[in-house]
Amino acid sequence: MSSIPVERPALQAKDFKSDLKPIWCPGCGDFGVLQAIYRALAGIGRPPHEIAFVSGIGCSSRIPGYTTAYGFNSVHGRALPIAQGIKLARPELLVLVAGGDGDGFSIGGGHVAHAIRRNIDLTYIVMDNQIYGLTKGQLSPTSPRGLKTVTSEYGSLEAPVNPLLYVLAYGASFVAQGTPADMAGLADVIEQAIRHPGFSFVNVQSPCVTFAPEDQQVKAQRGRMKTLASVGHDSTNRLAAMGLAQTYGEVLYTGVLYKDPAPQPTLDALVRERQAKLALEAVPRERILDMFLQK
Amino acid sequence: MVPRTIDFATLSLQDALDLAILVEEEAKERYDELAHQMELHHNQDVGGFFRFMVKIEGVHEGRLEHRRTELFGAAPRRVRREMLFDVEAPDYDDVRANTTPRQALEVALRAEKKAHEFFTRALAAVKDPAVQALFAELCEDEVEHAGLVEQQLSRLPPDPVIKAEDVEDDPVAH
Amino acid sequence: MNDLIIGMAGSGGDGVVSAGESLIAAAAYEGYHAMMTKSFGSQVRGGESSCRVRLSTSRVHNPGGALDVAVALNWDDFLRFGAELPVSGDTVVIYESKTGVAPDALPLIGVTPHEVFAIPIADMAKQATGSDKAKTTIVLGLIAGWFDIARESILRGLKKKFARKGEKLVEANEKAFALGEAYAKEHPLKKPRAMERPVGRDGAKMLTDGNDMCAAASIFAGCEFFGGYPITPSTEIMQFHTRELWKYGGAVLQAEDEIAGIGAALGASFAGRKAMTATSGPGMALKTEIMGLATIAELPLVIVDVQRGGPSTGLPTKAEQSDLYMAAFSAHGDVLRPVLAPTSVADTFDVTVQAFNLAEQFQTPVIMLSDQEIAQRKETVDPIDTSAFTVETRKLPSAAELEQYSRFRMTADGVSPVSHPGMPGGNYQGAGIEHNEAGNPTASGRVHHAMNEKRFRKLAPLQARRDLFHIEGDPNAPLAMIAWGSIAGVCREALDLAKAKALNVKLLVPWLLYPIAEDVYRDFFAGVKAGLVVELSFQGQLYHLLRMYVDVPSCVTSFCRSGANPIQPREVVAKLLQASLALQHPINPIATEA
Repeated sequence: MSSIPVERPALQAKDFKSDLKPIWCPGCGDFGVLQAIYRALAGIGRPPHEIAFVSGIGCSSRIPGYTTAYGFNSVHGRALPIAQGIKLARPELLVLVAGGDGDGFSIGGGHVAHAIRRNIDLTYIVMDNQIYGLTKGQLSPTSPRGLKTVTSEYGSLEAPVNPLLYVLAYGASFVAQGTPADMAGLADVIEQAIRHPGFSFVNVQSPCVTFAPEDQQVKAQRGRMKTLASVGHDSTNRLAAMGLAQTYGEVLYTGVLYKDPAPQPTLDALVRERQAKLALEAVPRERILDMFLQK
Repeated sequence: MVPRTIDFATLSLQDALDLAILVEEEAKERYDELAHQMELHHNQDVGGFFRFMVKIEGVHEGRLEHRRTELFGAAPRRVRREMLFDVEAPDYDDVRANTTPRQALEVALRAEKKAHEFFTRALAAVKDPAVQALFAELCEDEVEHAGLVEQQLSRLPPDPVIKAEDVEDDPVAH
Repeated sequence: MNDLIIGMAGSGGDGVVSAGESLIAAAAYEGYHAMMTKSFGSQVRGGESSCRVRLSTSRVHNPGGALDVAVALNWDDFLRFGAELPVSGDTVVIYESKTGVAPDALPLIGVTPHEVFAIPIADMAKQATGSDKAKTTIVLGLIAGWFDIARESILRGLKKKFARKGEKLVEANEKAFALGEAYAKEHPLKKPRAMERPVGRDGAKMLTDGNDMCAAASIFAGCEFFGGYPITPSTEIMQFHTRELWKYGGAVLQAEDEIAGIGAALGASFAGRKAMTATSGPGMALKTEIMGLATIAELPLVIVDVQRGGPSTGLPTKAEQSDLYMAAFSAHGDVLRPVLAPTSVADTFDVTVQAFNLAEQFQTPVIMLSDQEIAQRKETVDPIDTSAFTVETRKLPSAAELEQYSRFRMTADGVSPVSHPGMPGGNYQGAGIEHNEAGNPTASGRVHHAMNEKRFRKLAPLQARRDLFHIEGDPNAPLAMIAWGSIAGVCREALDLAKAKALNVKLLVPWLLYPIAEDVYRDFFAGVKAGLVVELSFQGQLYHLLRMYVDVPSCVTSFCRSGANPIQPREVVAKLLQASLALQHPINPIATEA
């Protein structure tokens, strides 16, 4: 490691890297996502102990363990509820949530809408690989129609969930998409997402190297991806964002799809406000029973 | 936000040297990660090669650091790792659990070429003559490194007919 | 007379429950011991409703059996509550004469009460207030008049209740009350029954129900987060917190489902805050996976299960004690989780505080099994001296421990100091996956076994917590009862009744249901010649649970039946009496042969 001091003793990407070695398959898209997260966190500059990083179950849900933040690799589909509890309990924390498409849009799909409508200040990163990797290649909620897997021997008969449209429709105030094919771009949208006050969502097209064909790997994405800047997208226009989101599964747009120009107050901020307002009415805890006295 | 791009036009020699050091550092770390990946997946041959590359990139880094310290002492660094992405570090997507030694050399070759392209592109934008000289030198270095790798490649026998993926067990569910 | 049970039924619009509340509030103010249960038809609004209020000069342990006073504003409604409003020959029956039922032709099967009053209640209300809406105020006047109870306090309560609606309304109700009272004076009971004045502790009592008591106790215990989902009969706990918890810097999340409710609570606990959730059986089923996560992540969490009849939707408004197996066993993997149960509104305070303390002390989820009756009945409670209670908080790592922090470090007592996000140096990975001492994932059988052992070992001190058990009656008595939850109250009264019949009985009431404290039961069973484990469930779950761990003597049997079929103290006494007689006249095959 270089011994030359940096100009400002700022946190660097490596400060967020834990000693634990990823067990992902070589070539997995999640390696790039992890790098992007390190760099986004370096950009944010909050020390690791002020960060809570929650995940569910799946290959990608291993990710908190590869950071130096406080991590919680919880149970399948429940990362968002747990993260919201953490944020409400300690609003001063930076709360990140990560997981796969199955975690977020299948078993835990019911939680996404509610995290969005609460507009709680956390960043949700979904590593969307359109497959169940950890259980060996079954259909996922974002698998394209017709995909042949071990649970769709003759091809999937179901249309996929469109994660981008889903979160836009529920009113998410920040929605972006990225790919490890463009790590700088991905780090950038993750950092923007974290900086955005309120619920922010980043869908990462992070291919599965083991259960998806070569033409869908990171290298192939590099030729296919289209930055939203290059198509002149106005990221303050939710309807325009929804229009572009319709192409999910066909066109790989990267960048910020939607960013609310006038975001609503966050739930955690409102909670703090209420706590402050009502604090004066508190009787001491040891006298709480007085309210039951028939006086 | 941390700048994620480099303004080559205004780059000083000190910054340029620091940048070059960070490029080597990134490559070194990536090879280390890839070596771990290979070892975890019981691909010892390729793991060993990547470990060798860790050493090589370390040597390059050391040389540059020496030069930098001689010229600028302990003057604080102004450029950051966050400005770089995969300059000389091989792409994650370039390796697989079954990467063969020949493919591993090709990975290294692509990485050297990538670095060469980076410095060539940078060279076009650089204004400072000292920086120009440094980048030209680094360009040449990368050509030389690529040549070495190519030499190695030519010495290697072709990959065997039976590949790992022909015999390996199915992936394991967790 | 020192014990009076009043039952009233009418349509929701009549406000009998509201009248019952006025009555019990007045009784509490005067210093009576009192208890009130309510029961409703399945309509959300305006259906039939009923309440039972029991007043006494000594402690009231359960809602009691046959009514002393039955008030039927409408016979159809009254009869719908059948078993909950039993009438005996001694019951004073008061009913609305408009129903057209003749006093000698009451629609009661097999009983002809001595004192029956057909009263034009609606007309009297109209006379006093110009509307028949004040029927229950007339009834309160009748009760005050005949039984000489809480007159001033009822009036005071009515004043308070109607004050914000205007002076006119207060006056009208006072007139109605006076009219009822005058009627009672003009038509005295054949057998006068004036209530004695309350004795003992001076001054007002607390009045509340189990759910509010639980929520208040949790605030005393330091609760800072509630996550939950509405479900009968537990919802009032969340409702209380949405009013109060913010004041203490806490937060409440009404989650999108039961899983999210407990998930958020666990998240808050991970963040270092004391947290709880509350639910009933169906919700417990949904929360099970996250309870497993709390166990392996070693995080404190209090889960309140207010039991109702099951399975599935079952009987949402009726008490049952059929979630004990679920509380003890519904877990994936090897799990030991403390299960506690309060037995009254009053001790809901103690048990809730214990639940938080155990959760914090042992870094474990703790289940508190309340039940619909305790949760939703109102009870007078003597003031509680909170300074007598200690409040535990989880063991945090010291500065030295944070130098090289290991979250799941093997310690002698199995409890490892726990950090939380925001604490520098305490960074670790919480996980549902098995982990080593540092918190890193592992599939090692050796580590898994060691961690299981640690998670069980840390709870070993529970075996010695005799303070979580109460033995009442003569500790050497040959006749024994074991009862938990609301049924403990039934058995407490049975104990008093048995004593009056000169039976020598003891009663064991566990607050701690699981793990089974084997020594406590072994000691209790020593010398027992006959015994009952009394429960309100079809299976008799505690009885069978005991048999898993303890050599339950064959003379100790299960006395149980499904929820919504309240067990009466006198039934229990009858059983004990039977057992006592059998002991005195044993059918002893050896003796016969000889």
